Amino acid sequence: MESKTFWECNKAYILTALGLGVVGFVFVGFLMIMDWGYLIQYTMHALIGDTSGVLTAPASELEQMINAAFGPAYNTVAPEIIRASNERQEYIWYVFFAEIMIFVFLYIKNGRVTPTITRPNDTVQVLTSFQRAVIWLNIGMISILVLTGFNITWGLRSEGGDIPRILREFHELTGLAWIAVWLVFTVIAAKDMKGWRKNSTFRHFLPGSFKPSKRVIWFFYAAMGAALCFSGAMIITLHPSSLTHADVIQFRRVLLYLHFGASVLIMFFILDFVYASAVSVKGYLKGLWSGSYPREYLEQVAPDVLDDLKKAGRQ
Amino acid sequence: MSRMKFYCDDYRCIDCNGCVVACKEAHEIPVGVNRRRVITINEGIEGKQKSLSVACMHCSDAPCQKVCPTDCFYIRTDGIVLHDKDKCIGCGYCLYACPFGAPQFGHEGIFGVKGVMDKCTFCAGGPDETLSENEFEHYGQNRIAEGKIPMCASMCSTKALIAGDASEVDKIYEYRTAKRGDNTSLKPYGWEAYNNGK
Repeated sequence: MESKTFWECNKAYILTALGLGVVGFVFVGFLMIMDWGYLIQYTMHALIGDTSGVLTAPASELEQMINAAFGPAYNTVAPEIIRASNERQEYIWYVFFAEIMIFVFLYIKNGRVTPTITRPNDTVQVLTSFQRAVIWLNIGMISILVLTGFNITWGLRSEGGDIPRILREFHELTGLAWIAVWLVFTVIAAKDMKGWRKNSTFRHFLPGSFKPSKRVIWFFYAAMGAALCFSGAMIITLHPSSLTHADVIQFRRVLLYLHFGASVLIMFFILDFVYASAVSVKGYLKGLWSGSYPREYLEQVAPDVLDDLKKAGRQ
Repeated sequence: MSRMKFYCDDYRCIDCNGCVVACKEAHEIPVGVNRRRVITINEGIEGKQKSLSVACMHCSDAPCQKVCPTDCFYIRTDGIVLHDKDKCIGCGYCLYACPFGAPQFGHEGIFGVKGVMDKCTFCAGGPDETLSENEFEHYGQNRIAEGKIPMCASMCSTKALIAGDASEVDKIYEYRTAKRGDNTSLKPYGWEAYNNGK
């Protein structure tokens, strides 16, 4: 068996960490105006249940009044929210532009994999009805969330009004419904879990094994999805009255920022998945819809899926 | 040029909530939305209890206007910050950006989702036709157009809450602090004191 070097085994992880590290360094060092010291301390306080944002006892009556009336430490997180919401409108295009350039590079380098199919009727059922339902619900809901989310981000272009407001409400309701779909998909796509259980027990796991590049996508889908679900649900349900405002406003600011950041990252990796499934391999989407792929397709493109199905006795 | 401002004197405010009730009554504000609120600290501790009536402060450099994705805010020449409810999509960004917690959101619809934003208008209505039914329905009374001061300030029994042109409000503030024996030139107050850590 051919042995692989550390670089070959972990290339996807190293490149992802490097890319995010460089982008993160530029963002944190030169663009963001968040008070990181406060945010780190605040997170520690929040983890033990104190979300008020008052990290030290007020030193004066005035500070006590400000904490009680308006919420503490306005200058730590709020200016970052203003900066981010404005600059998202202007600069989020660059994220997509950069990603499309990466795809163009990959397409020029690798082209499109087109399996040779001589026996189109010899097909293998790969996905169950349940798996397809979860996958397409996920695709549909994420598409709605992306479109209605951009409806908020780019409100300046629509200039507001009833339709953008209804779309914003739809974003919140779809987001709440997506929590269940995100959770189920995260579980059934956790292919590494299969080694821990018998296939018969966990028959709902998607067949096949993860290559590192796909595992990275799954990880970011799971982690950023968790951040989005948590922050979104809390933002919707933590609805402060005029008297509870000071207690929750800092928590909501941090959650909104988490929502902003997680949405950009998940979008990046979802687009990666879209490229991998719709562009880089011919015939992938068709099978995703019907649930079955030609045997030759699997032999050439996804032998690991075929192996899994054989082990499970499903073909 | 005049700039309209509120000032609440915490030495005089007695937490009666008259301003809150007057505001809700005048503008027919729904349950769950308070354009004005009274905050009290050290409640029950003699000599230390302080109350403050808070609403939109009509900032000169309003963060809500900066953050709004639909640009629904506008600042009148007299400094009153207003917004257009027909443009507002209820995203809530203004609430995160506001240092004073002024923006308010009621629940509406069958799912009880957040509605459009409501806030203190300094009793100056909104972008609809002045003193029209539409204006009242959306924004409440337009007392400024009638030559009156905001309802909350007019109803304050101890005159803790005052409203009007900033230079006039400043004169009242100076008069009161001087009468109390506070030397304002030596003793910073408000944000200045907070930022200096005093």
